[in-house]
Formats: sequence, structure tokens, C-alpha cells
Amino acid sequence: MNLTEMKGPKRGVALYSYSGEFGVSMNLEDCFADMRDMGAVGVEILANSHIPTYPNLDDAWVEHWFQLLDKYGIVPAEYGHWIDSRLYEGRELTTQESYEMLARDIKIAHRLGFTVMRTKMGVIDEVNTPVTNWREIIHMALPLAEEYNVRMCPELHMPTALKSRYVDDYVDFIEKENTRYFGFNVDFGTFQDKFDSDFRLPGMPEDGGPASRPEDIIPILKYVYCCHAKFNHMDENFEETTIPYEKVIRILQEHQWDGYLLSEYEGAHKNEHGYVSDQLRRHHILMKRIIGA
Amino acid sequence: MLDMQLIQTRGFRNTVQNGQVVGFQFNVRLTYYRGIFLSQLRPQKVVVDGEVFPRESVIWEFDGKEYTFAQMRREGNVHWCPETPAILKIRKPGGLSQGYHEITTGYRFSSSYIPPVLQRTIDTDEPDPIYEILGFGQQHDTRRLLLV
Repeated sequence: MNLTEMKGPKRGVALYSYSGEFGVSMNLEDCFADMRDMGAVGVEILANSHIPTYPNLDDAWVEHWFQLLDKYGIVPAEYGHWIDSRLYEGRELTTQESYEMLARDIKIAHRLGFTVMRTKMGVIDEVNTPVTNWREIIHMALPLAEEYNVRMCPELHMPTALKSRYVDDYVDFIEKENTRYFGFNVDFGTFQDKFDSDFRLPGMPEDGGPASRPEDIIPILKYVYCCHAKFNHMDENFEETTIPYEKVIRILQEHQWDGYLLSEYEGAHKNEHGYVSDQLRRHHILMKRIIGA
Repeated sequence: MLDMQLIQTRGFRNTVQNGQVVGFQFNVRLTYYRGIFLSQLRPQKVVVDGEVFPRESVIWEFDGKEYTFAQMRREGNVHWCPETPAILKIRKPGGLSQGYHEITTGYRFSSSYIPPVLQRTIDTDEPDPIYEILGFGQQHDTRRLLLV
């Protein structure tokens, strides 16, 4: 059985990690070659960053994309995109405009072979409350998402707690719509329990604890279609120094969660040549030791 | 492949139209991790050897098409990809002289996933220390480049 057929948590990379070097010393193929070294299979691209003709698709580039996937044994795991509610100065996008932006991405994601999208909606306050018309926008897009077989997933990202009104509202929506085409990307930064300084994002617990405990993911796991395996620092012993990785991944395994853990580096030195590639390799040793593949 | 810096070495030269030097141009790359639509861009003035060229006077070129400051604000479908530099064109009859020139410019952009309170001053033309503290959102550069 090859890695892509394996059930359970699988290893991948969010190309966001390479943003310091992308276009400067690395192109898309360099990112894929780096992933192959690690045995990372799933890839997350950012539509706006990694598709040169975005929001249009060029046939020659699409052909190149599939050739690269084939050459390096990479699987499209997640398509990162934004509904930029503040696209124009002085006003927010209407529901119809937001839908059109989203619909465009659903079609591109599908053509490039993705079935999961990281759907980033605009926020209206400092605790990242989404735009007030998010339900209308997503409701409007559900039939298209189903037609194109892609799941729209907001990212649950620090300071957002997995146990929060914010997440409950999304769960209520999913259950009311009874849909499999809207769910979550959980960013492991929400489990971060060690911090370099006393600086706290607005909305973080006042006792200095993490936004979420590893077990908080269990109730929503059936709606989680992808994870950002966020990491801030990998030490020489292949340990992540800020996030309880083993606990989180063990929970995913115990609950037979099936999907990609996309390494997303959020630490320092992103512009240093080779630094992130080394951190990613360390991170994949960590994950490979826990997952076993 | 591009220079790591915002202002690029390649692309700096005088602009010749119909045999006349009408100004100068240089390239800037998008140092944000994601591409943006032109309506999200908030360019700042260009300063060359102390001479200020207001942002309204700078023409930005993407994929062979030129845009004024006012035109960019309305372009919600034209996209700037991080792999492709923009060309900044500045009108100055006779252009710049041979030798080194110190160029300063920058831009900010709207990011809808960032709390609005942290985006209130994206449209100011001067560097704002708040963005240095945040470590996000201010793309600014000074380079000394040689014109042949």
C-alpha cells in the first residue's frame, strides 16, 4: 500500500512555510523536490501565491502542475484561498461578490485536483470573528462545492479556542445544513502551550494557558478535513518546543482520523537560505516517528 | 528568480519612448507571502536621492499593462503574483544621470483576515512604526542602485 492509500494522519507540507524563499531562491518545483526528500505527500498551495496567473488558469501551467505532482509523487491536499471582504477600500464585499470570489476558487481547486479548501474569510474584530454574512455566503456556495466535490474549511487558528462560541456557531451551521462540504482546518497553534514571551493575543486565556487542549479536538473531529501542523521551532532532538505534538497526533490516531497534517512553519529565519528546509525535515522526523510512515 | 529585497537590481534604467528619455523605471517584488489584487495595494511615494515623487505620479505596470494610483484602487480582479515583479515608472524628462542613485519606496496592503483595528493606517504615505512592532504589513526598502 502506498502512502496516499494509508488511512490515518498522513504527512504533508503547506507551501506557506517556504514563503521567505519562494520566488527568490525556490520555485514550485524546488518546493516539491524538498518535500520528496522528506517523504511528504500532501501539499497545500496558496492560490494567490503559487498559481502564477491567478485568478485565471493557464492551460500550460495546469499541465505543468500535474507533471510536477506525478514526478515528485505529490497529492493535492489543500487549496488555500481567501474571500477578501475588504477587497475595496471603504466597504465590505456584498454576499453576491463574496460568493463569486469563492465560486471562482472552488472551480480552480477542482481543476487542480483538490478536494479540500482552506477558506479564509474576512474578520471584523481582534478575536477574528468572521464577517456577519458568512452563513449566507457559504450557504450559497454549498451546491457548487458539492458539484465540484470540494470541502470549504475555515482555519481554526490561535487565538481561536476549539471550545468557543465561534466554533459552536460553525458546528451549528454544519449540522443545520447537514453538509459534508463545509468543515474545519485545525491549526495546531491553538494547542501551543509554551510561549517565548508574556505577549498574549487578544482572546487568549488569561491564565497563560493554551487556547485549546489536545482533547478539545475530539468533539469536532468528524468535521475536520485537514490540519495545519503548525510549528514554531524544532530542536536538535526533533522535538517541537512549543506545541504538544505527540498528544495531538495520538488523539487523531485513536479516533481513526484520516487526512493530511500539513507542516506549516511559523518561526523565525524564514528568509535564511535552507533554514526552513532544515526545520521541515526535523518536523517530518517528529511526525514520522509518531505516525510510523 | 528575484532579489530578496523589495527593490530589485534588475529593471533599473531610464525609460526611452520614441527615442526620448522620458523618465526612469525600476522593479519591485511583492514581499508579502501571498499575491494581492491591485485594489488591495496601498503604494507609497518614491524618493530618489532626496527627490520626492508622490504616489499619484508613479505608474505601476503589471503583465505589460500600466495603471495609475487611482486606477489600481478599482482593480479587484487584476492580481499581483509574488513571482512577478511590478515595474514602477516615473516621469522625469531626461531621466537619471549615470551613476549610483538611492531609491526608497514601499507599500502596504489590505488583508481581510487581519483585525480591522490593525489596518487603520495602511493608506498613509509615510512608514508607520506600528507595523515594525507588529512585524507585519509594512514593506519598505531603500537601495543604492547603479544606472549605466
